[in-house]
Amino acid sequence: MTVIAVAGKGGTGKTLVSALLVNFISEHTTSVLAVDADPDSNLPEALGVEDQIKKTLGEIRELFQVSRDEMGTMNKEQWLEGKIYAEAICECPRYDLLVMGRPEGEGCYCFANSLLRGVLRRLMRHYDYIIIDTEAGLEHFSRKTIDSADYIIIVTDMSRKGLATAKRIKELAEELRLNFKKIFLIANKIASEDAERAIRKFVKEEGLELLAVLPYDTSVAELDLRGDPVSEIDKNSEVYRKMREVANLMLNLSVKAR
Amino acid sequence: MVERKRIGIPEGVKVKESVGEEAEFPFDISPMYEGERIRKGDMFVELGGPTQPGFELVMALPVDQVEDMKVTLIGPDLDEMEEGKAYPYAMIYYIAGEMVETDLEPVIERRNHDFQNYIEGYMHLNQRYDIWIRIGKNAIKKGLKSLIQIAKATMMLYKNELPFIEKIEAVYITDKDLVEKLLNELAMPIFEERDARVEALSDEDVDEFYSCTLCQSFAPTNVCIVSPDRPSLCGAITWFDGRAAAKVDPEGPNRAVPKGECLDPIGGEYSGVNEFAKQESGGEYERIKLHSFFEYPHTSCGCFEVIGFYMPEVDGIGWVHRGYAEPAPNGLTFSTMAGQTGGGKQVVGFLGIGIAYFRSKKFIQADGGWYRVVWMPKELKERVAKYIPDDIRDKIATEEDAKTLDELKEFLKKVDHPVVKGVVRPVDGQKITNGWVEEEEEAEEAVEEVAAEAPAAQPAQPAAMQPMPMQMPGFQLSALQIPASSAAPAGVKLIIKDAKITIDKVIVRKAEKEKKGGK
Repeated sequence: MTVIAVAGKGGTGKTLVSALLVNFISEHTTSVLAVDADPDSNLPEALGVEDQIKKTLGEIRELFQVSRDEMGTMNKEQWLEGKIYAEAICECPRYDLLVMGRPEGEGCYCFANSLLRGVLRRLMRHYDYIIIDTEAGLEHFSRKTIDSADYIIIVTDMSRKGLATAKRIKELAEELRLNFKKIFLIANKIASEDAERAIRKFVKEEGLELLAVLPYDTSVAELDLRGDPVSEIDKNSEVYRKMREVANLMLNLSVKAR
Repeated sequence: MVERKRIGIPEGVKVKESVGEEAEFPFDISPMYEGERIRKGDMFVELGGPTQPGFELVMALPVDQVEDMKVTLIGPDLDEMEEGKAYPYAMIYYIAGEMVETDLEPVIERRNHDFQNYIEGYMHLNQRYDIWIRIGKNAIKKGLKSLIQIAKATMMLYKNELPFIEKIEAVYITDKDLVEKLLNELAMPIFEERDARVEALSDEDVDEFYSCTLCQSFAPTNVCIVSPDRPSLCGAITWFDGRAAAKVDPEGPNRAVPKGECLDPIGGEYSGVNEFAKQESGGEYERIKLHSFFEYPHTSCGCFEVIGFYMPEVDGIGWVHRGYAEPAPNGLTFSTMAGQTGGGKQVVGFLGIGIAYFRSKKFIQADGGWYRVVWMPKELKERVAKYIPDDIRDKIATEEDAKTLDELKEFLKKVDHPVVKGVVRPVDGQKITNGWVEEEEEAEEAVEEVAAEAPAAQPAQPAAMQPMPMQMPGFQLSALQIPASSAAPAGVKLIIKDAKITIDKVIVRKAEKEKKGGK
């Protein structure tokens, strides 16, 4: 099992990166789980499978909260597991997709989350690759709904905010003891050489490893804006080619690590 | 009780039998396969699930009626199934042994899920009549030929892991008519019977309760005790959940708490629980009564679904749930009351509970149960209406009847609620409150006494009452009355009217007999 967490400020293109990684890696194996762990993002749309989503994990957790009093002697963990496997995991042709959904509402979720952790842990260990599109706060990691990440890819653009968020994610990942092997940076929408130089300096200062510098590509930006699937990206574009290289690198890294 | 007997095999169906242990299996068996998900594309067949009937059932039978390690398969086997299709599926196990009883059936049945998931290439989901199995193409490729192999592996695991099972026999059915017939005529009645037994299960029927310390990170001194008659405050954990969790991880957040000696059958006080509470709260609390509102009540974590609050003006208890945002008749909202009660404190006058506790036969029985309840929001009342005794249901006010204490008083008088003339608690027929008339007379006297001493007593008010530290943050009350022990009223009653009190900590101790009347 190799867990790749893709994090970054909203709008930097982290969902695009996640979706492309899922597409490329699932060409090699179907033992891939894509996880949308950002309530504000749209990984299912980027993958073009939003019609297939039945329920989010959050919705199942809510259903659990209102149904639990009627469960009698039924085993609640088995109930949750059954619901998650049947309704929250979306079986796409080459990979499975799990949408975490919105964070919990009022009331106590200690027990529900404790059961969820167990179910997810047992589920996830069976996949060769898990690619997680996560928000910058790494909430699911801090709550331990997801245990660990082997590789963290931070996506940023040239904005001051994007870089500041990148820095914070790195600090948070270290604090949370995610036991990651490497932490990378992908710079997206880089329009000038000056910008690229600034990024390289940032990477050096922060002790990150630069995985790719993606140019600003109007067609990609428009596609992202429309919410069209990344599979429609021009195969000859620099973004597409460079992301394939990134995917290959990740594949090689995890094969080596095994 | 539904009779437990071997099922009859109808004529004309295809039957395969096999007896004895299997020397070798064409699949790995290991806990590492738990959680393995077989994708639709990798699946050979699906059994039960969303489109086909299915169930699993364990029945305890006399020893002479069980043929050990025998499997009977009724209906088509794997080699007659079409790839990609779904089929009906029933798994029935007959078990026997000196220690095997009907009560153990559900516990043993639950393990079918665990054991079958140890089998490589076999996914088992859900339970009872919801079972959903997928068999992977890989398993077939590796040599799985028959469901009999699955049954034999499962039975082997049963006998290895639960050695008290002396004999086990399996009947697997894939014949649609028979699965449906047995589901309706045999399995469902047994499941319903089990649920009914659960409803009837009492604290007295078991030797162990279970603790829950899942939320100790928020409430370090909270000690949740989950008993058959008292689910957790968050409403999520029943005694059965506690038992299941404690079996899997005995040192985890849900641990077994031996009941010990019953010290107060009405209040629900047990020596084992007291010892556990003392230890888990770091010595903060020494006694806990599970079914008492006023005497050593259960601690309140912060996760609770509902908070109960005593209203001295009517000598009754109101309940408000998390979803009700308006102030209760005492002028306080759920969150205000939760804020001062939560955090693992034992606060007399407030009690956090789970909604499921309203179903309990022992629901605050020491303090009159439902007959002491005077108010709850309509939404909450409707949710638990069927658990409220008929003769009191209409006497409990909702926000439609009363929003303030004055309106509540009027309502209770109008419907002749038991609190008006005095509550008799059903559990032992004892009259535990005197009703309003008498109290108002006493009140007049008490007010004068207190008025004289009040200024001196501002920072801390010792009073001859119950031995428990009570933390009351400063909040305004039009009248505050601290109830004396409900069972044996103490000598002093404080009624303070129109007062604004700020107290950091009040320590109230029970006066020893010989010390009565002062130091």
